[in-house]
Parts: sequence; structure tokens; C-alpha cells
Amino acid sequence: MIPSHHPDDSWLLAYAAGSLDLGQHVAIATHLQGCARCRAWTRTMECVGGAGLADAAPADLGADALERTLSRLDGPIARPQPRAAAEGAPEGLPPFARSFALGPWRKLGGSIRTREIVLPEASATRVLLLESKPGASVFAHTHGALEMTCVLSGAFRHAGGRFAQGDFDCAESDDHHEPTIEDGETCLCLVAIQGDLRWRGLLGRLVQPFIRL
Amino acid sequence: MTDKGRGDRPADRWAELVDAIARSRDKRAFAELFAYFAPRLKAQLMKRGLAASQAEDLAQEAMIAVWRKALQFRAQDGGVATWIFAIARNLRIDALRREARRGGVPASDAEAQFALDDAPSADARMEEAQSEEQVRRAMRSLPEPQLRVVELSFFEERAHPEIARLLNIPLGTVKSRLRLAMNRLRELLGPNR
Repeated sequence: MIPSHHPDDSWLLAYAAGSLDLGQHVAIATHLQGCARCRAWTRTMECVGGAGLADAAPADLGADALERTLSRLDGPIARPQPRAAAEGAPEGLPPFARSFALGPWRKLGGSIRTREIVLPEASATRVLLLESKPGASVFAHTHGALEMTCVLSGAFRHAGGRFAQGDFDCAESDDHHEPTIEDGETCLCLVAIQGDLRWRGLLGRLVQPFIRL
Repeated sequence: MTDKGRGDRPADRWAELVDAIARSRDKRAFAELFAYFAPRLKAQLMKRGLAASQAEDLAQEAMIAVWRKALQFRAQDGGVATWIFAIARNLRIDALRREARRGGVPASDAEAQFALDDAPSADARMEEAQSEEQVRRAMRSLPEPQLRVVELSFFEERAHPEIARLLNIPLGTVKSRLRLAMNRLRELLGPNR
């Protein structure tokens, strides 16, 4: 399936530059995992980095920099241990994120539940899985700062269009969203959230204490 | 527009050097690559706010990784400079995480986090990334104000409001210049959306 909603170019640029925090990185990588076109474009953005390096004005190195480096060429290599995938890690996560620990499911009302993907590094952005049953209306909410959503399975709709597997949605503060889950299939999304989500409505007030948003 | 079959370009020379390292652990080839890239890596890392000594350490680490990973270099992923850029980017992220853990070992490494499954897909035709030479040419064709915003954003990791302050232009202008630059690069280098 070819996604039809993609991250903004400035996100792909920041991804390639290595400027994203881990939570944002996971969200973009999840989209890239399913989007060959954006994957190719981030490689082109890495070429921007390569071109910048090739054209950079050189800095002075210490006098013995080359000798010191040569003497270390054949030292021991520390290889990272491959990690096992966490139990319950959904299809569609990028390979590195499949090993991240998963928090317990928490119910948000009758048809929606969520669990945290526990990031192994400090990150200003947190990452959740959000699972919604068909027909559910996901509480209207406004955004404190920034929310990225990547659809892993199923589909939802809001004013911005239809979002299905692989699609990427990004809401900045002051956006108001009232997504509706499409009939037929449970919708599983990866959501990266920076800042507070301010829930509106009764369900929101009920839900907030449970997930500490 | 083909770059093949011309041995006088720096990018081709770098690819030969990496190949010599991969095939025969050639230290002279390494020294030549080091002489070009290590000082530029240090400069690029300092632009991102690293202290000179830390930038030099990381530049050396990156070149050691070039030596060790030479067999993994794939010319079709861009070029030698892009490959070295990515190695240094990943080491920088790891170093910052080690720092955040006060010397503790990070639980995850950035190299793995940039590795994605390259499953064959329906739009494989679009998967072909551009060569770094084509990107260099395209970058040079950007109007100076747009190029500056891309540079500040990409190489110095400046947030948009900070770029606005530095250049003394409104935030909206930063965003529109970046968008124009990206659209221009897409026109020159990529499939349109």
C-alpha cells in the first residue's frame, strides 16, 4: 500500500540531519518503513549532509590527529547486541523500535485503549500505541504542542482526509481534531506526543487521569 | 546526465580510496581520506555546537568507523561524503546520549535507528536516491537566502524561530524559504508528490 499522507519536508530534513528527539524519530521512521518514496527522499536529504561535508571549510586538527587515529584502527570492536522484539510489538514498527518495551494497555472508554512504547533514551516526545474499535469517535482534543500519528492498520478520517496504513498526520498546537475510526477494521496508530493533550468533553475528563497526558 | 566513467572527480577518487581500504586495508588510502574529511567533520561538528576537542574526538571516531565499515559502503546510497556524514551523525547522537546518561552506555544506538527494512515495494522505481554530486549541483542552484535557511536548519540544527532572529526576518519567511528550497530540490531531484 502506498501512503497518501506524508510528513512535511522539514521533518524529513530534520530526520536526515539527526536533529529529532527519539520519540519524533520513531514516528518518522514508522512512516518511512512503509513509504519507499519518503525513504528515498530522506536518502537524498542525507546527500545534502554529504554535500555540506564535502564543501565545508576545514577546521584545524591537532598535530598528531592522524597518528593517533592510525594507532587505533585495529582496536577491538564493540558490537551492539541484537535485541529480541518485545512481545506484542505490532507489525509496521521500524526494526529498532520492535525491541522497545511496551507498557500495559489502558482503557480509554469502551472502544479505545492505549499503551506506551517505552523509549530507552530521554526524549521530549513520548510515543503511544492507540487502538480504536470500528466506529469509535476519538474524543475531540486540542494540542498542547505537537502530535504525530502514523497509521499501522485500519483507517480513520477527520477534516484533513482519510488516513490508512502508512499514512502520517501531524497536528500542531491550536489544531482541533475529531477523528472518526472507519467501519470494518480496528485502527492501530502510533502516536508521538510533545506537550500536553488537552482533552475536551466528558470522555476526555474521564480519560485524562488514566494516561497522564 | 551520467557521472560514470570519469576518474578525475573527487567523489570518484574517494570511492577508490574506500575500495582500497575495503580490499587491502590500505593505510595510505586511509590517510588521504582522513586528510580531506577529518578536518571537515570537525568543522561540521563544531557548527552543531560541539566543543573543538569533542568535535575532534568524534571526527577521529568517525574515520575509524570508515576504516572498519569500508566493506559495507554501497556507492548507490549516495556517495562517500554522504556515507561519512551519516556515520558521523550517528556517532554524534550516540555521544550526546552517553553524555545525557553521564557516561552510562546508551541502551540503543543511532546506527540501528537509521536502519530500515528495505522491502521491495510497489513504487520501487521511486526508491532510487540521488547521487551526492547531483545534490551538490542542485544545492548550488538555490538562491542564496534559501540556501542559508537550509544550512542553518540542517547543519547548525537551529530551530525556525532562532533562524528568524539570526537573519532578522519574520518566522513566516523562514518557513516559506525552507519550503521553496525543498520544492526546488524536489523539482530537480525527486519525484513530485
